[in-house]
Amino acid sequence: MLVAAAVGFLLNVLSRFAGPRRPSKVKYESYECGVPTDVSKSGVRENMSVKYYVTALLFILFDIETVFLFLWAKIFSQLGWFGIVEVFIFLVVLLCGYVYVLKARALEWD
Amino acid sequence: MGLNFLHDHNLLALAIVIAKVVFLLVLLLQIPPLMIWLERRAPALMQRRRGPNRVGLFKWRLWGLLQSLADAIKLIFKEEIAPAGAHKALFQLAPLLGVIPAFVIVAVIPFGQTITLANGMTIPLSLTQLDVGFLFILAFSSLGVYSVAVAGWASNSKYSLLGSLRASAQMISYEIPLGLSLIPIVLIYGTFDLNSIVAAQEQVWGVVKAPLSFVIFLVCMFAETNRAPFDMAEGEAELVAGFHTEYGSTKFAAFFLSEYVVMFVLSCLAATLFFGGWQIPFISHAWLLATFGTAVAALLGFGALLLKAAFFMWLYVWVRWTLPRFRYDRLMALGWKFLLPLGLFNILLTSVILGSY
Amino acid sequence: MMDSAPLVFYTLAALITFSSIMVVAARTPVISALFLVLDLFLLACVYASLNANFVAVIQVLVYAGAILVLFLFVIMMLNVPRVRSKPRIKALDGLLITMVMVAFLYMLYRVIAQYLSPLPVESAGGSNTEAVGKLLFVEHLWAFELASFLILLAMVASIVITKKRAAP
Repeated sequence: MLVAAAVGFLLNVLSRFAGPRRPSKVKYESYECGVPTDVSKSGVRENMSVKYYVTALLFILFDIETVFLFLWAKIFSQLGWFGIVEVFIFLVVLLCGYVYVLKARALEWD
Repeated sequence: MGLNFLHDHNLLALAIVIAKVVFLLVLLLQIPPLMIWLERRAPALMQRRRGPNRVGLFKWRLWGLLQSLADAIKLIFKEEIAPAGAHKALFQLAPLLGVIPAFVIVAVIPFGQTITLANGMTIPLSLTQLDVGFLFILAFSSLGVYSVAVAGWASNSKYSLLGSLRASAQMISYEIPLGLSLIPIVLIYGTFDLNSIVAAQEQVWGVVKAPLSFVIFLVCMFAETNRAPFDMAEGEAELVAGFHTEYGSTKFAAFFLSEYVVMFVLSCLAATLFFGGWQIPFISHAWLLATFGTAVAALLGFGALLLKAAFFMWLYVWVRWTLPRFRYDRLMALGWKFLLPLGLFNILLTSVILGSY
Repeated sequence: MMDSAPLVFYTLAALITFSSIMVVAARTPVISALFLVLDLFLLACVYASLNANFVAVIQVLVYAGAILVLFLFVIMMLNVPRVRSKPRIKALDGLLITMVMVAFLYMLYRVIAQYLSPLPVESAGGSNTEAVGKLLFVEHLWAFELASFLILLAMVASIVITKKRAAP
């Protein structure tokens, strides 16, 4: 079972989205019509705060950190205190970064 | 389950896989209509209103239960409209991008004890069994961001774009505490595999061992699905409806479908990780097996999981009509400044406690 | 798995090649980015088909789920317009391009055929998550600790860069 899990989930993916896909296709072709809320046609996609960019960047970094921790947690029982100290050092270094980010007020949304 | 089962197993294996897929698909498609109905009736009850109660079959009204069905039919027969200036292909693609990950992640939820047939063949009651277990759910639910981001961008509407940006920033922000909250679970049980985690909870539920994790998980669960009180992405007072403002007909329905399916999966996950999954409290599974036989025991387990998940679904509705909406900066602050350090602290705490034993 | 492995691999390889080409060829940047997501996702499928489930999931979680979100944000923020010019290819150019491409692909094929075994598939069977973990946390312990400094550096850098840009 486990050996074939990869292929298995591929099969599942395929068979699964065949279902929900259909309802969105049983339709007329897209139709254009005036939309009252659409204020202007140009320039809509422009205003974007740099905040979102920073958030995404920090998200990646912490995501990677989470991945490391997942791996550590998986073999935690074999590492014991050695592993705890290891991760403690890891986290302390990251905490410095976190404090810097806080100090730089990069997480303020005002 | 690969292509080789055609010769080394029999067609039965394939039939079982197909049966499981079809069953789950049908089950999942029942959830949004039921939830929408609940979501309209429950507040009515809380606020002493009536809610939808008219639609019925002939003279039976069935508490308006068929309202959702009527709504669905209405949505199917509505005309598709894409706003002028929208990116056509992406506009079509966005709902799909939401639906696919939502349905895929159901595959790893164990709905019951593995059934052993008389001929020694085993049928696990989940679609796939992966050693990476719930990491699979995390990975695929992280793909849900694209649906939101693309929908907002493709719509060419200010409200949509703003809503989608807020929603996607919120989703990625809460993914981190969500991941961190699950690490103590791995620390405790030493595995990502949901089946093993359920089996390990026979005596004590996970929530007892990792209460802090559960709290963080619960908050993130609400934030990940953009549900109240974290639903400012679709704060109707300021953003009309958020990223799906411009959507209509079945594409609109598709967003709802994926939202409710993700809610359901996260509810199942919460039940599985923290509340013993398909195990019925105080009744050992071995006793059930001995007393009722395999099929009934599996069915009871399935029912137990559904009941637990239903509780969380109810919690979603309950919270939505109880708590006011957060302000966006507060939401981000909660995620980054409170839940993130709390999650790290929780991990260290759990590891130190475990290490001391 | 043993029989279906080459089939799965070649299907995935073909799809990856296709989506990689689309990343470059798509004229709307957002579509390019989405093809890149597809690309990385399919790569994860390759890992999964080699039984490296953990790596596969991490691939989806980090690359497809996180880094590409940043790409998408940047593209949306910069509002890169659709590239309008369609490269016009004349007949002679087309012929030359085709010839060069054919020659290139043939050489590539020979090189690959010479230096790589047709399918370097080596699936150990079972889970290798623990093996990866042990390798990282025991053998490459200092590399792991160093990674924290790398992340720290990236955090500081991201703040510094965006602060500059945010200034009026």
